[in-house]
Amino acid sequence: MKKGKTLMAATLATLLASSALYAAANTDVAAPKAGQGCISLKTVAETEQEVLNEKGERVKRLAPAAKVVPGSEVVWTVTASNVCAAAAGNVFIDNPVPQHMAYVPNSATGPGADIAFSLDGRRFAAPEQLRVRDADGTERAARADEYTHIRWSFKNAIAPGQMAMARFRATLK
Amino acid sequence: MPYSMPSRQALSRSLLAAVTLAAMPYSAHALGVVAGTAIENTAQVSYTIGTTPVTTPSNTVSVTVAEVLDVVVTLQSATTSVSPGATNQALVYRVTNTGNSSEAFQLTLNSVIGGDEFDPTPASPSIYFDTDGSGTLTPADTPYVAGSNDPLLVQDTFTTLLVINNIPTGLVNGARGFSQLTAQSRTGTGAPGTVFAGQGAGGTDAVVGTTGADGDATGQYVVADVQLAAAKTATITDPFGGSRPVPGARIRYQIVVTPTGTGTATAALFRDPIPLNTTFVPGSLQLNAVTLTDSSADADAGGFVTTPSPAVQVTLGNLTQASGPQTVVFDVTIN
Repeated sequence: MKKGKTLMAATLATLLASSALYAAANTDVAAPKAGQGCISLKTVAETEQEVLNEKGERVKRLAPAAKVVPGSEVVWTVTASNVCAAAAGNVFIDNPVPQHMAYVPNSATGPGADIAFSLDGRRFAAPEQLRVRDADGTERAARADEYTHIRWSFKNAIAPGQMAMARFRATLK
Repeated sequence: MPYSMPSRQALSRSLLAAVTLAAMPYSAHALGVVAGTAIENTAQVSYTIGTTPVTTPSNTVSVTVAEVLDVVVTLQSATTSVSPGATNQALVYRVTNTGNSSEAFQLTLNSVIGGDEFDPTPASPSIYFDTDGSGTLTPADTPYVAGSNDPLLVQDTFTTLLVINNIPTGLVNGARGFSQLTAQSRTGTGAPGTVFAGQGAGGTDAVVGTTGADGDATGQYVVADVQLAAAKTATITDPFGGSRPVPGARIRYQIVVTPTGTGTATAALFRDPIPLNTTFVPGSLQLNAVTLTDSSADADAGGFVTTPSPAVQVTLGNLTQASGPQTVVFDVTIN
């Protein structure tokens, strides 16, 4: 009985170590300290590329962005991992639409997150609430390619060891 | 089909010039972000641990824009009327770099193309840069030498080229000859999407665009071996015995139409509008010194018409060089 408990504790320790390793491999930020840097945030850029699957069929897979030319669509994925022992609440991820790129309409996704957009990086709102005034004074709904920032607000706290994901697509101008 | 000839000035225009091939406009669209540009992205996360707010950036991801190879060739000149045996006949083309980086293009000329009646003979050299921008071949224009002065074009810019052919002899009226200019990216050509790894600007990949990095356009010559030249003179007689153009003065217009070359100009029709602020003098119209009635509905060759605007009109019929000059005379008075 006592021996079993020790084994379990050892397994747990290994698991913790491996998850810590996983986190270390995925983050460029400094190790968390005293409530700072509990969430490790990682961004990757990928493009959809056609590859042959096991059955020899052409399928689209995401692969590290390469050969990005005007008109190319880049899939940006931001992963937030809680690497602390405490839960992180009120989590939101902000991502500017990169320079020279245009946000692809309806492409932003994020499980468990409300998604809002901004035309200036300060005021965030749902797409239908974003209005712009043209040079001739007429007001109209903002186009997706006019969005400058995207914000994912996660409804639930991210528990220790858990991850949250935010993703969007943008086209190179 | 009657040929309506303006007589405002001396002109030398082929009967077949009416068959024009409009230069196909191609809007060379700006392809945006230049090859080699770094597209950077950094996300940011904000959250609270207990009550402590924290904000942390992500790593910065940088994606480098690859080079797109695209080129478009457009014909700038209308169908060019030529005489058999004519030399150094120019067609004007434009080569536009529609890619997103500077690129050199190789040019080739092909004058042996199907679908026409004769093959123009490329002159030597046969491709020139329109260095002076005149649209015609002049001593200032630089000959193109493949591999030596391939045009290096910044993205979204073009260069104008002259393609020079000689026209064979013994051709019939209306015969057409095609000549095609091709421009190919020096980095390479191929199906759209073809990649030349590491060969793009700044070591990026070069990717063949929708044009295949290969563009061409075909121009055409047409043999028009009869040409009609019209020369117009005006003589003014004022009411005071002088020659000042005052109200009441009478202007006698004389137009001499001269056919030259070989072949026949069929159903040539002369038409000359009555100038504004003048009035046609009834009974003054003559063809080759024979007076024609003003009616355009009777048997003689000409008349005065009022629709759509006042004009004199004379049917010259089928003209050859042997027909000799045709002289039309009519008078107007200044209102």
